[in-house]
Amino acid sequence: MILRRGHRVTTQSVSFQFDGREYTAQAGDTVASALLAHGVRLFGRSVKYRRPRGVFAAGPEEPNALLTVGTQPCVIPNVSAPQLAVTPQLITRSQNRWPSLRVDLHAVLQAGGGFFGAGFYYKTFMWPSWRTYETMIRHLAGLGEAPGAADIAPPHVEHLSCDVLVGGAGAAGLAAALAAARAGARVVVCEREPQAGGELDFETATIDEQSATEWVRASLAELARAGARVLYHTAIVGGSDGLVIAHAEPGGIAKNNTVYRIRPQKFVMAMGAVERGIAFANNDRPGVMLLGAAERYLARYGVAVGKVLVLFGNHDRLYASAMRLHAAGMRVRAIVDTRCDVSAAAFGLRATLTGMGVECMSGHAVAEVHGVYGIRRIRIIPLQATGTERFIECDALLVSGGWTPMLQAALHDGGQREFAAKVSEFVASVQPEWRTAVGACAGTFELGAILTESFRAAAQFAHSIGAMGVVGRAPVGRGDTAPQLQAFWRSPCTRAHEKTQFVDLQNDVTVADLRLALGEGFVDIEHIKRYTTLGIGTEQGRTGGLLGAAIVAELKGEALSRVGVSRTRPPYQPMTLGSLAGLNQGDALRVTRRTPLHAWNQAHGAVFEPAEYWLRTRYYRANGTDAFTAGIQEATRVRAHGGILDGSTLGKIEVAGADAAAFLDRLYLTKASTIKVGRSKYMVNLREDGMVLDDGIVLRLAPNRFLATTGSGHAEHMLSHFEHYRALEWSHRQVALTNLTEAWAVIVVAGPKSRATLMNVLGEAWHARLSGLTHMEFSESCWQGQALRVLRASFSGELAFELHCQHGIAVPLWEALVAAGLPPYGLEALDILRVEKGYLVSSEMNGEATPQDLGMDGLVNLGNECVGRALLGRPAFVEPQRPRLVGLRARDGKSVIQGGAQITLTAADTHSLGHVSSSVYSPALAQWIALAFVARDRAATGTVLVARDLLRGTDVDVVVTSPVHVDPSSERMKV
Amino acid sequence: MNAVMMRLTCPFCGARELNEFQFHKTAPEPGANPFASVYERVNRTEISQEYWQHVQGCRAWLYVSRNPSTGEVYQVSLLGTQP
Repeated sequence: MILRRGHRVTTQSVSFQFDGREYTAQAGDTVASALLAHGVRLFGRSVKYRRPRGVFAAGPEEPNALLTVGTQPCVIPNVSAPQLAVTPQLITRSQNRWPSLRVDLHAVLQAGGGFFGAGFYYKTFMWPSWRTYETMIRHLAGLGEAPGAADIAPPHVEHLSCDVLVGGAGAAGLAAALAAARAGARVVVCEREPQAGGELDFETATIDEQSATEWVRASLAELARAGARVLYHTAIVGGSDGLVIAHAEPGGIAKNNTVYRIRPQKFVMAMGAVERGIAFANNDRPGVMLLGAAERYLARYGVAVGKVLVLFGNHDRLYASAMRLHAAGMRVRAIVDTRCDVSAAAFGLRATLTGMGVECMSGHAVAEVHGVYGIRRIRIIPLQATGTERFIECDALLVSGGWTPMLQAALHDGGQREFAAKVSEFVASVQPEWRTAVGACAGTFELGAILTESFRAAAQFAHSIGAMGVVGRAPVGRGDTAPQLQAFWRSPCTRAHEKTQFVDLQNDVTVADLRLALGEGFVDIEHIKRYTTLGIGTEQGRTGGLLGAAIVAELKGEALSRVGVSRTRPPYQPMTLGSLAGLNQGDALRVTRRTPLHAWNQAHGAVFEPAEYWLRTRYYRANGTDAFTAGIQEATRVRAHGGILDGSTLGKIEVAGADAAAFLDRLYLTKASTIKVGRSKYMVNLREDGMVLDDGIVLRLAPNRFLATTGSGHAEHMLSHFEHYRALEWSHRQVALTNLTEAWAVIVVAGPKSRATLMNVLGEAWHARLSGLTHMEFSESCWQGQALRVLRASFSGELAFELHCQHGIAVPLWEALVAAGLPPYGLEALDILRVEKGYLVSSEMNGEATPQDLGMDGLVNLGNECVGRALLGRPAFVEPQRPRLVGLRARDGKSVIQGGAQITLTAADTHSLGHVSSSVYSPALAQWIALAFVARDRAATGTVLVARDLLRGTDVDVVVTSPVHVDPSSERMKV
Repeated sequence: MNAVMMRLTCPFCGARELNEFQFHKTAPEPGANPFASVYERVNRTEISQEYWQHVQGCRAWLYVSRNPSTGEVYQVSLLGTQP
């Protein structure tokens, strides 16, 4: 029912869907307020017991009324109905029910079976094993349903820096923002609601002789003049190490949302406090609601949450609230106050209310609610020995057990809480100097004190960072008197009733569960949380966490301050995973680099494969329908005639300067200083621990200028490696390092026809250069007016050349080579060719292999003092069991050797002697061949071993060979 | 300047977000032999001396001393210039 015009809504009407039915709402309504206005009480069922549930709160702390928004495959589950703005065409559904909200099969099944306590599933479904039942139980378990598609638009990400960040634009936040802005600080205010004001929305208050509403309006105007930025619909959801993350959803759920990464110099937390409930039997029934929530629905949307109300709590605010609810036209039937005496401040109000016919009971508590889909009547008991129990009929029971400061922003960033006896609550303990809590967030609940405290704290912050403007005096306010709360957690009851005394509504945790957990030996609150699920899920202990801890304290007979509360986790309110990922998704997740020949390759049927951040051609479709057949076809053709490969991904680092040669000598296993200008050398880098890091060819371009090539995708890492040693040991020497990887395209021309074809293509000017070029020699000139370097080197075992060229001639040169009869080949063929020759890639240089393991003893014995050399002599590196690189072939000449297979002595053996690092079908040898690591004492050529692939269940007898399977004397590349 | 981690003050670029930097390793103890400097590393909780690189910035290698348990950064200097 709508009693009056709330100040968040307008006269326009909007319609939306809930469980297939159309409802009309006032523009500005939330789904919760609109449905409450229509008299809807049932919003969903609980996750475990499937009990009917209604709205309990009026903010993101809502434990019950969680809805699924949208239709599959684009749904968003677990959206808090009180937070969900009604927008046109909004489609919402209740959760945890099947087939319908009113009739839930699981609830029917449970009705006969009683309640499942903590750990029920794990204790019950044990035979024959948990897995037998898992599918069925998983179907019933969990909150909401996951979306079937990932098409929710990614958020905008905005980085903000400011002098003072204020979380919350209630009385405390506005006072703080005013002080900081007047001092001249750059201020950002994040308010999760669509409007500023917080509890001033409903509290009867005056500030600086104006109404609270006028003061809010004036304050916002002043902030705007001072250039402060006030962000609405923006919740501070988490943060770490001084970075504060806020999430804005101005257009409704997951539309136009923005993630703010805010780096404040000072952070004033004025996020207020969340009201909590009291445990009594059936305190989860629809119609039981937080008192503050009822006030919010009335003030903001004009909605009455019930016709006949009973208020139940442990503080003075009950009376002020009752006055306001009564004045709006709801009938307040009774006020049940657990305290024996109201404070002097509330005494007058109480008398007035009594005079209006409201029954005010002190020293009483609500023990039980009767009714299932709503409240029929409530049972009230006296807390003292005298008095009798009573039944009162009502349709809404408004509960208030106190307020829990919303310190999440601090707790997520390493902050701690400590118990403050005066408010029976945990408040922020000492904060780092850049952060403070004020107002209700700091346990202050009286308006005058809140304004003064917040204003002063922010002024002090502003001054401390040099904003010295005059701030004037703090606003003076009068509102509801201090609550004078007396701790009260649950109504006395029998053990049987403890099963329906709900502590955590979202997770169906009852007092009985807490008692069970304690009985089974769970002592620490964090263990109890994990066993009972207290305070998990979107609720994160906001309405139930402290209540649970207090009841654990009671059951243990221990002080609440000792029991403590479990840690809350970010985000403060649910966010879609897409929002959390921000822009780090899809193509933006990481760089994809394409070579200058990519477009040509794409147009000519290349199948690409990611190699680190590069996209490389795996094979060309024209050569086969799959990688295996195409690879064989391409590799065969290279050995028979020739082919070209896009090698542009080759890492290229130029090392220049007077000390370049000496620098490289230090970084490579062999010396670079002995390379003659115009020649190159195959070289290997070691890590500090002696393992091979990378290999490549180093070219000496000039006496003081080298080009070091690295593995594809390793260039950035190798550059960092070089720079590290330059800084560490060489900062006084002259070495310039430049990453030229993307400055040069590389075309590899391989095969017996490669030289002749190159001569044709490059023309007369290159004839003499090419014919005189010896192995590992290079020549620099140009082609079609652009720089071209031809290096004679081979990674295939064939006569081969690497053409380093400027981008402009990459495609013409490539096309000319193709036209001259050299077809392109891809990585699949390259892998076959290099395994046939025993050349290494990262499967072999895997970070566990020393140069000796890889058969480079000759290079080690040259004795160059390089990085990593000091540890090469470790005894562990020469143990007979240490695997070293060998070749393998199937003994029967035809079986498939699987990459990754373990090497054992016999087929029955499970002791691994090593593993297969690379395996290919060799067209040159017409059989499967492999490179493998095998224990040195079993690695003699001719040894018969077994390659066991336990994953596929194959055992293959293999014979150890040299790693060089084809052309061991390298005759083919010497032609 | 608040004593908060997640920003390092690069000698060339000033205070920058941590995601511009890459951690390399903790610096070996002074005078450690090669084996100890690779394998016998001390996990210090109070002051940790570390190598970082400003990879997404000026690429300077940095020598950072900080407190891993509080996140407080004591000093950032250029690698190779510290005593």
